[in-house]
Amino acid sequence: MHCKICLQSIEKDTTWSTLFDFRERTLCLSCDEQLEKIREPTCKKCMKRTEEKLCSDCMFWEQHLGEDPLDRNISIYTYNEYMKEMMSRFKYRGDYEIVYAWKDSFQQAFHAHFSKGIHLLPIPLAESRIFDRGFNQAEALARLLDQPLFAGMIRTGQEKQSKRTKWERLSAKNPFELIETPPENVIIIDDLFTTGSTVRFAAQLLKKAGAKCVSSLTLVRS
Amino acid sequence: MNANPWSPRFSGKRLLKNELNLSETVFQGLLKKGNLIEIPGIKEMFFYNECQRCHTRKPSHFGKIPTETNQPIPHKKLRSTKSITYCRNCIQMGRVSTYEPLYEWNGPASRPPKMKQPSVWRGELTPLQSKAADAMVEAIRNQSTLLIHAVCGAGKTEMLYRGLWIAFRNGFRVCIATPRADVVRELAPRLRRDFPSIEVAALYGGTQDVDVNAHLVVATTHQLLRYSKSFDVMIVDEVDAFPYHHDKSLPKAVARSVKPCHALIYLTATPRLDLKMASRLKQIQTISIPLRYHGHPLPLPKLSQVFKLHQHLQKGTLPKKITHWIEQRKAAKRRFLLFVPTIESAHALSKKLNIPYVHSESSNREELIHHFRNQRYEALITTTILERGVTFPSIDVAVIGADHDVFDEAALIQIAGRAGRSADDPDGDVTFFYNVKTKAIVKARQYTELKNLEGKKFKKEFD
Repeated sequence: MHCKICLQSIEKDTTWSTLFDFRERTLCLSCDEQLEKIREPTCKKCMKRTEEKLCSDCMFWEQHLGEDPLDRNISIYTYNEYMKEMMSRFKYRGDYEIVYAWKDSFQQAFHAHFSKGIHLLPIPLAESRIFDRGFNQAEALARLLDQPLFAGMIRTGQEKQSKRTKWERLSAKNPFELIETPPENVIIIDDLFTTGSTVRFAAQLLKKAGAKCVSSLTLVRS
Repeated sequence: MNANPWSPRFSGKRLLKNELNLSETVFQGLLKKGNLIEIPGIKEMFFYNECQRCHTRKPSHFGKIPTETNQPIPHKKLRSTKSITYCRNCIQMGRVSTYEPLYEWNGPASRPPKMKQPSVWRGELTPLQSKAADAMVEAIRNQSTLLIHAVCGAGKTEMLYRGLWIAFRNGFRVCIATPRADVVRELAPRLRRDFPSIEVAALYGGTQDVDVNAHLVVATTHQLLRYSKSFDVMIVDEVDAFPYHHDKSLPKAVARSVKPCHALIYLTATPRLDLKMASRLKQIQTISIPLRYHGHPLPLPKLSQVFKLHQHLQKGTLPKKITHWIEQRKAAKRRFLLFVPTIESAHALSKKLNIPYVHSESSNREELIHHFRNQRYEALITTTILERGVTFPSIDVAVIGADHDVFDEAALIQIAGRAGRSADDPDGDVTFFYNVKTKAIVKARQYTELKNLEGKKFKKEFD
C-alpha cells in the first residue's frame, strides 16, 4: 500500500488488531496529520467556523434570495496551506488519484449525515476545463460514495470562481441549466465551499424544478 | 543566425504541449513538417509502464483517470479507452499520460555561438587543481568520461573554468547538474560573474529563467527531465547525493539529456560503491584531489560520546558536553552550524538555545541561509539540507546525534567538510556527538586521515 499523497509506502505494525484488517489504507500518518478537519463551533448550516448559530453569510443569503435554497452543507476539511497545495495538485495539475486519499473521510461524512439511496449531483464543469483536466473533480468525489448520480444539469456559463471577488460571484448569472427533472432529494457534491454561491445557484434550479430537499457535501470549507 | 525561428527554443528538449506554448496553427504546422515529433507519454509494456519523462517504472507511481463519466470528455481519441494512465511521480511538472504525449524537436538543431573570449577570470589554480582542470579539458576534447574525486573545499568550481572556457570557445552546450536547488542558486551568480559574455540559465523549481539555446545550463537534476539529446558536456556535481542513489530514473535522465557524442564529468568528494568500483577497474578515468585549495589539511572530526543523547534530545534537554562546546564557541566569538538528524529535534533545540533553524520545508529557507552567510546570525541549526554544496567562510561544525541513520559516511564527510573552507582560517572545529559509535562515524574519520596523508605526499612532491 502506498500513500496517495506522498507516494511512500505505508508501513503498518502487525498486531492482532491489524492482522485481519484488510481495509486498504490510502493515507500515511504524516500526511493525514497535515489535513485539518473542521472543528466545532461552526455555523449550523454551512459549517463555517463561527461562534454564532447562523453565520453572517447564511443570514445574508436568506435576505438576498428571500429563501435559502440550500438546506444544509457538510464539509470535512479546512482550507489550510497544505490543503491548498493538495487542491492545486488535484485540480490544476490534474492528479486524479489524490481523490482516494480523502475516500475514508468522505465516506464517513456521508454516512454520518445522509442516508443511502439519495441522488448525488456533482457540480458540472465547463467543457473547456474538462478538456484540459480530463476529469470533473466533483464527479471524482461523488464516485467515491457509490450512490446513484443525477446527470441532468449542464453548465452553460463560463467561470473561474477562484479569480472572482465575493460581489462578482453574487451578481453573476446562474451558470447552470437543468435538462431533466430532478429527484426529490438531492445532495450536491463539490470540492470547495467558499461563499456557497455555486452550490446555491445549483440548489436554486433544483428547488424551482420541484426538488424538496437539497443539501450539499463538500470536501473543503474555506 | 538560424533559419528556423523555433529551433533555439525547442532544440534538445522534450516537452509537453502546454510547455511548448505555441498557437494551435503553428503547432500543427510544425508537426506536419516533421519538425516536432510526438513521443507517447507512457510506454505501456506487458509487465510494466514507463513514464517517458521521468523513467519511473514503479506501479505505485502510475494513476488512472476513468473516462466513462457523467459528463463526456470532448476528445475523440478517448472514446475507445476505458481509462487514461498518467504518471504521478513527475506530475509537478505537468501531467504526462497516455493521451498527453511529449514532443521533441526534430528540425534543424541549433548551437550556441562560439565565443572568442568567454571568461574574464584571472585567478590562479594550485598545481593539483590544474591537474584536474587539464584532465577535464582532455575529457572534453576526447568526449570521454571523467571522475574528479576531490575533497570538500578543494575548489571544484574553479577547476571547471578551464574546461568551460574550451567548451564555450567551441560552441558546446554545457550543463552543470546538481541535486540541490541551493547549490544552483549559489553557483549560477558566480558563473555569471566570471563568464560575463556567456548565456547562463539557472533552472530549479520555481525559477524565472528560461533556457533559449543558452551556453550553460545550471540545473537541478529534476529539470533535466525536460531535455533530450541536448548537451555536449555534462557535469554532474555530487553524484553520490540523494536523489541519485536508490533512484534509477535520474541516471537515465542524465543519459538522455546528453548528445550521442558527449563528455561526462562526475564531481564528488564521496563516491559511492558503483563509481568506486568503476574507477578501480579503470573503467572511468579518475583524478583524485586530496588537498584543499589552500593546502591545509582537512579538519579531523573529534568524537565525543554522550550517554543517553537521544533521550536528552527527546526531553529537550542538552547534555553538559554539548552546552560546553557551544559556550566555548560563543566565548571565542566563533560562528557555528549545528546539524541535527530530524526536523523535530531542530525545532526543539532551536527553542531551547534561541538559535534559528532551517530544514527542507522552511518557507524562508533562502532568507535564513542568506542571513547566516551575511553574519547576521551567529549560529544556525540545520538538518542535512546544508550538508553539501554550500560554503560559509569560517565556521565550526557540530553534529548532534551523529549515530542517527540519516548521517551515513558520505553525509558525515560532507558535514565535516563545511569547516575551515577559507584560506584565512583553515582550521575549524568539527565534533560528532553520539551515543553509539557507528561504522559511518569511524569511516568518516578514517577517510579524513587517509586524505590528509595523501595530501601530505602530494605536497612533498610539489615542494
